[in-house]
Amino acid sequence: MIVNESVLSLGISLITLFFAGLLATKINQSLTAVFIVVGMILQNFFPVTIITEFLATLGVIFMLFMFGLEFSVGSFFHNQRRIFLVGAYDLIFNFPLGILIGWVLGYDLIGCLLLGGIVYVTSSVIVAKSIIDLERSANPETECILNILIFEDMFIATFLAFIVGIGHYGHIDAKGALFVILKTTGFFAFYIILSKTSKKLIDWIVDVEHTDLFVILILSIIVLSAGAAAKIGLSEAIGAFLAGLLLSETRQRQRISEAIKPFQQFSTAIFFVAFGMSVDYKHVIYLIPMGIFIFIISSFSKVMGGYFIGKRYLLSKKACLRLGFSLIPRGEFSIILAGAVAMNNNMPYSLKSLAGVYVLLSAILGSIIMKEYEWVIKWFVEKKDDEIKQIKENI
Amino acid sequence: MSEIKECELPGIGKKFTLELDSGDKLVVVIHSSGEREVFKFIHDNDEPTSVTKLTDEEARQIGAILAGTYFQPVIEEEQKLAMKNITMEWIKIEPDSMLANKNIEESNIRKLTGVSITTIIRGEHVIPNPRSHETIRPQDIIIIIGSNEQIKKFIAKFEIKQRLEE
Repeated sequence: MIVNESVLSLGISLITLFFAGLLATKINQSLTAVFIVVGMILQNFFPVTIITEFLATLGVIFMLFMFGLEFSVGSFFHNQRRIFLVGAYDLIFNFPLGILIGWVLGYDLIGCLLLGGIVYVTSSVIVAKSIIDLERSANPETECILNILIFEDMFIATFLAFIVGIGHYGHIDAKGALFVILKTTGFFAFYIILSKTSKKLIDWIVDVEHTDLFVILILSIIVLSAGAAAKIGLSEAIGAFLAGLLLSETRQRQRISEAIKPFQQFSTAIFFVAFGMSVDYKHVIYLIPMGIFIFIISSFSKVMGGYFIGKRYLLSKKACLRLGFSLIPRGEFSIILAGAVAMNNNMPYSLKSLAGVYVLLSAILGSIIMKEYEWVIKWFVEKKDDEIKQIKENI
Repeated sequence: MSEIKECELPGIGKKFTLELDSGDKLVVVIHSSGEREVFKFIHDNDEPTSVTKLTDEEARQIGAILAGTYFQPVIEEEQKLAMKNITMEWIKIEPDSMLANKNIEESNIRKLTGVSITTIIRGEHVIPNPRSHETIRPQDIIIIIGSNEQIKKFIAKFEIKQRLEE
């Protein structure tokens, strides 16, 4: 009776999530990290069932759909030069680093690319929430941070489609890469053309007054789009993301968001739990030093990159550092990437477990650093100032 | 008057920056959720010295106070005077009404009577400021505005039977 047991274990998971989440909000921690920890603990009590896995898949689909839906296409095109500029710097500073680490650790090319993405992508969910909670939305560096996040999300969504395509193809060679790139581009192009030419039609289609039917229609659009993407060998997530982008231009956007939100909240929570459950509990201990190592160097490169970008926009030293420190938390996208491609098991480190440790560290410590950046900055800025003073005195 | 700088905060909302004559800056962030935050930055400081959070409703109230519309008794008097000669009327459209199943232009309402239709209420649907090609359907409720004479003329001209109390 797998279904009956699943229902009970789902209930237990949910109530545990609730109490853990309650605790997390009390101490201002991100829910992402807590949900993963809950999953890691729960794996000792019951296994991941087909049903949990299915819900987790839906979790990714809905999460990406909401990203697409809430993605501000208007401001993307309005600010595209700025977004591409800051995004490119951030990409150069951080993406190759992960690939390099992967290479040193002895991953194959797909593994290296995945680790590149995992290390590169800052969690927009955690960072945006922290910015609001810490009352920094009006700060001068916030605009830069959000532009970086937009670029990263867009980049990673495309990257996800590509890497899953490659994963299906089996290995990377010039022919395969070209084939997958063409497929990805074609899929994106289809949605872009659709949104450009059939705006009125889409508006008309989703204008359903009956509440139940409306929800069913929107769900069917999401799942069909995700299914179509999976069918042609790309990631389901990217299909959902593009469906979200497509519907974000309609007049029903707000209503869609309200209708899908509960599904998304539920299934995304299950996704993080399922991820936590699949992290190999016993081997995690060995991965912690490696996780800490990657966390330190990747945080350093994020802060450096952020500082550099801030300087280009003539922000004060303090604001530059705040910008850099705000980019440390990794989260949802790193987790999605870690589980996106089935890896063979003779890797030196399980990518999934390593990503789990890494995301936990950076989500938890990253949120704390964002909040308590003052003393780090004080230390850094004052030390620099002292150095300058000394140099001046010497002259 | 100082310039207001506007900028998008993707994922959060919209930011409006106002440089005050005193050299301080006032920044308003309107969140997509409707919440408003008002930040004050002293001179070139890049961290706010004060933050005020307002709900949508509170923000509107404060806005009305700041704009001087919340407390201005003189203007209120004027409005009352103006309203004395103007009436709004809720009218239910019967299936046999002369207005039913015609658009506003065809009925030629404004030219014939001087009355304007401000709103059409169709079940749960509300159409404010309907265009002239909007069709009035049976069972609609229309809200019209005009002077007392114009309203009388309208009622006589289109043989209106059912007027609704406000």
